[in-house]
Amino acid sequence: MSSTPQEHGVGLAPLRQRKERRYPTPPDGVQTDAGAPIRASSLWRDAWYRYVRNRAAVIAGVAFLLLLAYCLIWPLVSPYDPYAVDFSQASESPSLAHPFGTDQFGRDLFTRTALGGRVSIGIGFAATFVILSIGVTYGAIAGFLGGFVDNGLMRVLDALYGLPYLPFAIIVLAIFGGGNFWTMVVALSIASWFTTARIVRGQVITLKENDYVRAAHAVGARWPRVLLRHLLPNTLGVLVIAVFLELPGVILGEAFLSFIGLGISPPDASWGSMAQDGYRAYRTAPHIIIVPSIAIAYLILCANFIADGLRDALDPRTRET
Amino acid sequence: MSEPLLEVRDLRTHFFTREGVVRAVDGVSLSVDRGRTLGLVGESGCGKSVTALSILGLIPKPPARIVGGEVLFRGRDLTTLSERELEDVRGKQIAMVFQDPMTSLNPTLTIETQLVETIRRHTDASRREASRRAVELLDEVGIPKPEARLGDYPHRLSGGMRQRVMIAIALSCEPDLLIADEPTTALDVTVQAQVLDLLDRLRREHDMAMIVITHDMGVIAEVADEVAVMYAGQIVEQASAAALFARPEHPYTEALLGALPQLEDHASRVGRLTAIPGRPPSLVEPPAGCRFAARCPYAGEPDGCAEHPPELRELRRGHFVRSEHPASERARPREGVSA
Repeated sequence: MSSTPQEHGVGLAPLRQRKERRYPTPPDGVQTDAGAPIRASSLWRDAWYRYVRNRAAVIAGVAFLLLLAYCLIWPLVSPYDPYAVDFSQASESPSLAHPFGTDQFGRDLFTRTALGGRVSIGIGFAATFVILSIGVTYGAIAGFLGGFVDNGLMRVLDALYGLPYLPFAIIVLAIFGGGNFWTMVVALSIASWFTTARIVRGQVITLKENDYVRAAHAVGARWPRVLLRHLLPNTLGVLVIAVFLELPGVILGEAFLSFIGLGISPPDASWGSMAQDGYRAYRTAPHIIIVPSIAIAYLILCANFIADGLRDALDPRTRET
Repeated sequence: MSEPLLEVRDLRTHFFTREGVVRAVDGVSLSVDRGRTLGLVGESGCGKSVTALSILGLIPKPPARIVGGEVLFRGRDLTTLSERELEDVRGKQIAMVFQDPMTSLNPTLTIETQLVETIRRHTDASRREASRRAVELLDEVGIPKPEARLGDYPHRLSGGMRQRVMIAIALSCEPDLLIADEPTTALDVTVQAQVLDLLDRLRREHDMAMIVITHDMGVIAEVADEVAVMYAGQIVEQASAAALFARPEHPYTEALLGALPQLEDHASRVGRLTAIPGRPPSLVEPPAGCRFAARCPYAGEPDGCAEHPPELRELRRGHFVRSEHPASERARPREGVSA
């Protein structure tokens, strides 16, 4: 088997193809490493190598995992009851006993921030998942079938694009009569999947023209196999990126809705509703609004850097070299 | 002589585009016998690939449509089959090898997966049997250490290796007919020869028929028994390979052969390679008469070939030509033709 340096470790398939064309490999039969052990290398492993080389993305990834661990574990081990009202300790500034201080009801903010994080991140991922599910299905059908089906679906999408996202979410919440976890997920995803659908449709149309799709047809593969085996796995990279690109918007949307009082209602907390609590007392106890705001900013920053790292790792063509 | 394995009769595949109807394939007839190789030559855009795709029903619909003709494979007209019936023919009875091995394998699946899936698509082999068969196939197409290659992703193989894998996939269900669409164009020269040898050996060993599509007369000389020369969606000359190279009749074939670089011919080594003047006609509104008339050095003589399309006629036994001026009927060649 012939081997060239660029075949090892780096390069997603399209990049490799370009490179190999520029530097043709030795002809068959010239066995340069016939006995050498073969190091398995796959798209995902290559992507992982590229990701860990991006320092900002690695830091963001670790920071994100720490945040997740804090949100999941701290409420279980915290000495404070996040719902217990104790006016004797109301609106205390950060101290050793309460690292983030307490709110107007004397509840420990370090514990409540973890609790609010569960809700905010949970809604964020759930809504992103719903957005992707609808978007992928819609986009894949349109792109795969093509022709008048595609045309019809895309014109519908164009019309839906006119719908403003926030008023739509507010209407949905009004219909459901207020916010809990699942109504928030519905409200946030119902008018946000359009872009994903377009991305997936574009991907599928591009991939459909690929020679290996034609080749699959030529050996008699049926269309579900072509779609599931050859088209969707190749859009996976884009989808993983889409998750982390979509996430900040959804989390901000949740925070906004909760902040204006349409989202998670007391005594449950999300970062948005905690910020709303703090807003009423921002002169006397500014930490109550600052803590959840920083938490939101921290999460969004992480998500953006992760998305950036994933994009470079999974789609090296976009990176300037 | 028994009936041919594949017989294409008056095939017409048109593309319905905004610019008009493109007559990509306009009345092509050809036949391939079991165990024989047909070479289909012509320049880019002359309809040779569309002919092949039409046989398998793989043309993009829309905009393309087979508007006429029959594709008889073992007496069954493939153009009348449903998509589902066609899927059973593809790969099992007729397989195809594409031009670019770099992009014809799915980069996200291992060689094994791609072979095994094709084998299991058409046979009821178990996963293990299919896997064993995959090793045999890789061995047969000359891939060293086939067991070790199974788990590899396509990007770890060179172009020639990938084309061998593509051929292995095409052969996996023992098709009766293999269509190779420019199988060597994307490979470098030494590998081209190896792949052609491989195809020819496999054809003999498996008693397959083969259609080799190419624009390279050298490839034709190497593998083909019969040759069909296509121009502007039609077959302009058809003969045995030996007859075609020895006595080309159509002015276009003459010009094609004249455009080949030749080592022995001192004159062409010194001068430039001969080119055919002009371009092929538009297939949206093809000329009413002979489609080669505008580029033909013999056209314009008082036989009206620019007005009335010449028919494909049998000049000698087995030698068909579509021209009013085949070489053997010309009094003397005009100047400016170096064939």
